[in-house]
Amino acid sequence: MKASLLANIGQLYDHLTSQQSVFTPQSTAGTGELNWLPHSDNSQPITTDRPVLPIYPTKQFFFPDREILFQFDGSEFKETLPAPPPQILFGVRSCDLCAIAYQDQFFQQDPHYQARRKATLLVGIDCNMPCKGGFCPTVNAGPFVRDGLADLVCHQQQDGGWLLIAHSAEGESLLNGLNLKRADACLITQRNEHEKEVTAQFPSAAHIETGIQRINQAQVSAETWQAMGLQCLTCSGCTSLCPTCSCFTSHDRPINEGFERERCWDSCLYDAFQREASGHNPSARAGQRVERFWFHKFSNEYKKSFDRYGCTGCGRCEKTCPGVIGVHAVMKRISAAQ
Amino acid sequence: MGSHSHNISKITQTICPYCGVGCGIGLRVEQDKIIGVEPLANHPISQGKLCTKGWSTAYAVDPIDRITTPLIKENGVFRPASWDEAYRTITEAFSAAIHDKGADSLGIIACARATNEDCYAAQKFTRAALGTNNIDHCARICHSPSVAGLRQTLGSGAMTNAIDDIEKADLIVIFGCDPTENHTVLGGRIMRAKLAGAKLLVVDPRLTRLARMADLHLQLQLGTNIALINGLLNIIFANGWQAQAFLDDRCENEAALRTKVAEYPPERVTRITGVPEAQLIAAARMYTEADCALLTYGMGITQYTTGTNNVISISNLTLVAGQIGREGTGINPLRGQNNVQGACDMGALPNVFPGYQEVAAPASRDKFAAAWQQQLPENKGLTSLGMTKGALTGDVSCMLIMGEDPVITDPDQNHVRRAFEALDLLVVIELVMTETAAMADVILPAAAFSEKQGTFTNCERRVQLIQPAIPAPGGAKPDWQILGELASRLGYNGMNWGNAEAIFDEIARLSPLYQGMSYPKLAVHYGLQWPCNDDAPNGTPLLHSKTFSRGKGRLIPVNHADPAEMPDEEYPLFFTTTRLNFHYGCGSMTRKSPLLERETPHGILFINPSDAQTLGIKPQTKVRIHSRRGEVETRAVVTDEVPAGTVAMPYHFKEAPCNQLTNNAQDPVTKMPELKACAVRVTNLEAETK
Repeated sequence: MKASLLANIGQLYDHLTSQQSVFTPQSTAGTGELNWLPHSDNSQPITTDRPVLPIYPTKQFFFPDREILFQFDGSEFKETLPAPPPQILFGVRSCDLCAIAYQDQFFQQDPHYQARRKATLLVGIDCNMPCKGGFCPTVNAGPFVRDGLADLVCHQQQDGGWLLIAHSAEGESLLNGLNLKRADACLITQRNEHEKEVTAQFPSAAHIETGIQRINQAQVSAETWQAMGLQCLTCSGCTSLCPTCSCFTSHDRPINEGFERERCWDSCLYDAFQREASGHNPSARAGQRVERFWFHKFSNEYKKSFDRYGCTGCGRCEKTCPGVIGVHAVMKRISAAQ
Repeated sequence: MGSHSHNISKITQTICPYCGVGCGIGLRVEQDKIIGVEPLANHPISQGKLCTKGWSTAYAVDPIDRITTPLIKENGVFRPASWDEAYRTITEAFSAAIHDKGADSLGIIACARATNEDCYAAQKFTRAALGTNNIDHCARICHSPSVAGLRQTLGSGAMTNAIDDIEKADLIVIFGCDPTENHTVLGGRIMRAKLAGAKLLVVDPRLTRLARMADLHLQLQLGTNIALINGLLNIIFANGWQAQAFLDDRCENEAALRTKVAEYPPERVTRITGVPEAQLIAAARMYTEADCALLTYGMGITQYTTGTNNVISISNLTLVAGQIGREGTGINPLRGQNNVQGACDMGALPNVFPGYQEVAAPASRDKFAAAWQQQLPENKGLTSLGMTKGALTGDVSCMLIMGEDPVITDPDQNHVRRAFEALDLLVVIELVMTETAAMADVILPAAAFSEKQGTFTNCERRVQLIQPAIPAPGGAKPDWQILGELASRLGYNGMNWGNAEAIFDEIARLSPLYQGMSYPKLAVHYGLQWPCNDDAPNGTPLLHSKTFSRGKGRLIPVNHADPAEMPDEEYPLFFTTTRLNFHYGCGSMTRKSPLLERETPHGILFINPSDAQTLGIKPQTKVRIHSRRGEVETRAVVTDEVPAGTVAMPYHFKEAPCNQLTNNAQDPVTKMPELKACAVRVTNLEAETK
């Protein structure tokens, strides 16, 4: 770990965009929608004063919504492994970096995912204020970037200056030519103190904590789940925007004399997700499917495998759920239910 | 998909192509291919949410089975043709028909899924280039009774309030629809309001999701809306619960309505509707006691032979309770298609020019004749069913259909097929090979919503810009360009617009409702709600706040009438048609998504457990459904969502086309067919084989 001082983050952004393909969250003029987009001449690097999460996390960079796995031309199978040029994701928040680490484990053996992931360097940014609906501290996913989850971490200090921490050799080599001043070790200690202050600014997440307990102690009744299941409109928004959700299905599409197999995002809230060929469905009730989703996000069983919960506290499900069963609504219902 | 490198190149902000709610979506594009969809967090209606159809939009416009070149049928087989040859074939046939039988032998079906610009071009083409008023579109079979009914009572057929008003109401009344299935994001906002404390009253023969959440569910018999509402009005007047000051001040014809509803005492209404008297009284009390009650309705009101009267009846109830003209109230018909409101606004209807200016009025004809520099026809135009009937009698020789699939979606499928077979020339402008396109003589490839600029008008009258995300595949073109070229070749040069914006500017010049709108203004505001003019430069979220569009709100007495076909000994069950959350219309877009296609069987009969038991039907049992018009085989889903004595089928699946069964008996005012009720017999095919 090597720390340097940086006058402003724009200096780093300009340095990186001059050498490599860079993606960063950008706000659309007029409507203010925040999306991950390639750098262009109009791009402005994000700042820390008012953290807003882009609508999507970063998972589509490595695990796209749709992707061809292989092609068959009638006589031979053809590999379709991606060979992306090196790229940098600039300004990834701590919650989304935790999710990348989570998916790195899930897709460890997946050559398509790994080809994209290996071509990518991550520049993280510490959140100096809570974002609306976020609760990353409750699930140990923020607000500051965890060690080792990004190649570079940008931290704006309370005096306005920037601390730049390199966590990998690749990250460090990105800084070649910038001639940055080495940062004093005490600044790292100050950053730790600063995180405690920011963490204290988050609103109470007691409902999340109680909800996690109740899920793990199987204290939520089938009726409570079914009442929430009735509100599930099967839109797939939660699983699409959840930065750790990784379920996919595949289907074959005809091409010329053969076919190609396309992998696409699936959602465990669909009735057909687990329906068997006989028509039997182990989770035929919407309530069972809602329960399964939250079990995967908050069960200690999965925590064992991934070293963290499947929820990184980003709150995107709450914002996109048309049926009012995003994370806050669900955990409030669960923690209030008798 | 460019599978070897894979980078987001841009996100195009546009409007969802499915229902009339008009949610904002971003199309994520990688190397000229739409890979995924992003919701728009700041969009005023969808607020970062989408439904399952919206989320799967990338599949809907996938190039994999798109038609990319004109096709001409020769000896029953399509072959690729040049645009020139296709245009020549069409103009020769159209010119011959005009020469032999007159322009009224041509019929055009526009499209509630196309843009305002396309629909405007279609009606201008029909009226100015061809010289007939034979133009219609599928609003005929969804909300033509809303337009006809509400124009008589209020003077305007659109949603009276804004979608935002859902959160301002303390009672929400859902009449004959399930917004959580068909208008999901709006349905979600209703659920949100309910959870935040609003009361919910559902009137529906089916036990829908919202009915399960409701404070009160009136589970009336199919086709008894008018009896039910007259019964509620009877109770309201009997108890003095009406908004008398509002009636005195803003409405007319109260005495006639009072006399009529006196014929509907609660015991009679209970007998007709099956709804207990106590529930009728509770509903009447809820609706009149609420400070702000917002009423919304759907096809369960309109798709009846009494469709127009059903709408009038809803209007009577709302006026008597004074639940209109304020925020959080109103009469809100939920429009089915992304642009069915716009297609009506554009005058893609036989009787009106853009902005509902009557064809029958000489002043409007003169206005449009001057603007279009063409003499315009006076003859009354045909509706879509009039065109298919005309095809069978030989009065209609050629038809052009833009992006609709009447073979699947219109009633009495066998009638529609025979009609199209009888035509001299059927032209279809389409994205993919639908059942209707397969019957065409010439197919012209259209650009999808994601490949062109234009505007859609949602159900709350919000006109929103759509933007091209990718180029159209092959030779596909926007409908307005195709129609402009055909017009020129037929000798009319008033349609050579350079771009969609030029068409919109022409619309704004000629339609007072859109007068104050322009593309730059729409881009800034996430759209504007009509009327938008000098008096309301930022649009009008709330209609009828001081006076009704027609002046006084008119109360019109109406009578209950049974559906045209009632269950009898031979066909003992009521049959109704429904829609599924997962599919849209004929399925030509949604069925391309592997997830949506996987979710439900390709055809379903919903049957109540008690009827299923009588017939020995279990889940997934193979069944045949017979009506006087045809029969269909599919599989059963046993559910208490439908009441005993009523079975239902969704209409999305060509494998189980429920419109083989439906009745084309029509509403006398609008020619709306009675898609919601007919009589059928169900046989258990697995019992037969045993």
